[in-house]
Amino acid sequence: MLLEIDHLMVRYEKAVLINDISLGVDNGELVSLVGPNGAGKSTTLRAITGLVAWEKELKRRSTEGDIFLEGMVTFNGERIDQVPAHEIVRRGLVLCPERRRPFRELTVLENLWAGAYLGKSKTKSEENLNKVYDLFPVLKDRSKQISGTLSGGEQQMLAIGRALMSEPKLLCIDEPSTGLSPLMRQEVFDKIMQLKGMGITILLVEQEVSTVFKMTNRNYVLSSGKIIAQGSGEELLENEIIRKTYLGL
Amino acid sequence: MDILITGLITGSMLALLAIGFSLIFGVARIINIAHTAFYMVAAYGIFYFSIRLGLNPILSMLISVAFVTLIGVLVYKFIIDPIREHEGAVLIATMTLAMFLQEVILQLFTGDFRSIDFMIGGYFTVAGYKIFYQQLLTFGVVLIMLLAIWFLLMKTRLGLAIRSMAEDREVANLMGMNESRLAMITLAISVALAGFTGAVIGPLMVLNPHMWMEPLIIMMAVVVLGGLGSIKGSFIAAFILGFTEALVVFLVPTGAFLKGPVALIIMILVLLMRPEGLFGVAFEEER
Ligand SMILES: Nc1ncnc2c1ncn2[C@@H]1O[C@H](COP(=O)(O)OP(=O)(O)O)[C@@H](O)[C@H]1O
Ligand SMILES: [Mg+2]
Repeated sequence: MLLEIDHLMVRYEKAVLINDISLGVDNGELVSLVGPNGAGKSTTLRAITGLVAWEKELKRRSTEGDIFLEGMVTFNGERIDQVPAHEIVRRGLVLCPERRRPFRELTVLENLWAGAYLGKSKTKSEENLNKVYDLFPVLKDRSKQISGTLSGGEQQMLAIGRALMSEPKLLCIDEPSTGLSPLMRQEVFDKIMQLKGMGITILLVEQEVSTVFKMTNRNYVLSSGKIIAQGSGEELLENEIIRKTYLGL
Repeated sequence: MDILITGLITGSMLALLAIGFSLIFGVARIINIAHTAFYMVAAYGIFYFSIRLGLNPILSMLISVAFVTLIGVLVYKFIIDPIREHEGAVLIATMTLAMFLQEVILQLFTGDFRSIDFMIGGYFTVAGYKIFYQQLLTFGVVLIMLLAIWFLLMKTRLGLAIRSMAEDREVANLMGMNESRLAMITLAISVALAGFTGAVIGPLMVLNPHMWMEPLIIMMAVVVLGGLGSIKGSFIAAFILGFTEALVVFLVPTGAFLKGPVALIIMILVLLMRPEGLFGVAFEEER
């Protein structure tokens, strides 16, 4: 397994966000994590990429309430649950966050360079930049544009492109299609399939279950911080209860 | 003519101060009330090293800036960093620090007004107005510094990290940028800028242990007018206020005393009419 989450638990004060979940992603897989709003999908991604621990440290300093974080996360054979967020990126576990969050005041190109912050060399980063431009030609056309002025779809392309600049082994993408037009959604999903084709392992959080289940190798269904089902898309859709109650189909 | 010269010098000096102040606010959300106290310490530093010890003025300047930066970094590491997530505590701590530095200066140099010799003497006249070479030198050096900081921010990897961090700490973290290290570096740059401003402007000023207050108020007005966290805003607002000040002093013969109030009035008007300032970023919640 490239990524293994073992008995992860996240609590904010008394609220239990993640209640003892375990899951794994193998090299080359496209795995989805689906479930209703507020199920804890984003929190799971934030926990494995070190952001929950970072927030915990900030809260500790401001004595603003406590975060409880427990469990083992292994990536590429090494434990990373004690590694700070900015180091986890270096190891190849990269998060493309919810709501895209480009640096709105920076240009498209500056955003991409920010993604290459840990780049090993300028030549290597330039190679990666060209790859990103090949994948998302619109970013090349708009490279000098201030990111805040891009459309939602373009911002999502930028967010994915920025994440790709750091050469991820595992790319976590949080709700890339939310808020986009149907046409744009399809384009985003096509790009994700292209990434998979390039050999990048992907953990995808999505609402758009019917489309996603056609793309993925395996899926986990999360509800109220617990994994309540897992399997292939077909298997999950066969189960009436899961389909109606958790996937809203 | 006088207005032009004074406006340009005051404006560019304010710009340097305000940019430093905005930088550390942007990256670490620290409102550093002691910012102009560092400026004062550097001005006294150059007075001490060049007048008292008779060192070369350029060397004195470098020592002063280095010294002030060192104090800044130490204070940050041991006092500010541990309480950084408490905005109120940071405000009180930096205010206390400013007063502490004021008292130290008062003890070491007494409250007497001091002045530093011009590094180069002489003047030339344009249309009947005297322009001292020292004024020209100061303006030139400050402009070079502004260009240097612009270059650092816009054209280097460090600058990109600082700007990213200022906009979204969490996402910057996701790009592999080390938040606490960047905060430390930014703080050092910010204090060095304040020190540098004090050191170059020193010869044009009368030094006294309260000299940090007036620029603090005006600098705050600049930052509010330009928009907290906006470097471009600080820059433009600095010149607007620099000229306004020069104009006030020119139009009202005893106007020097009005500088502070005028800045305050501008600040209050901006806060009432356009709280985000000219180029303000309406800060988005981090999550
Ligand atoms: N910083 C926080 N503090 C307290 N509760 C939070 C915080 N962030 C999220 N939550 C709560 O945790 C639950 C899970 O949130 P999230 O992981 O964002 O769900 P999802 O991404 O599946 O929609 C939600 O009920 C949300 O309200
Ligand atoms: Mg979410």
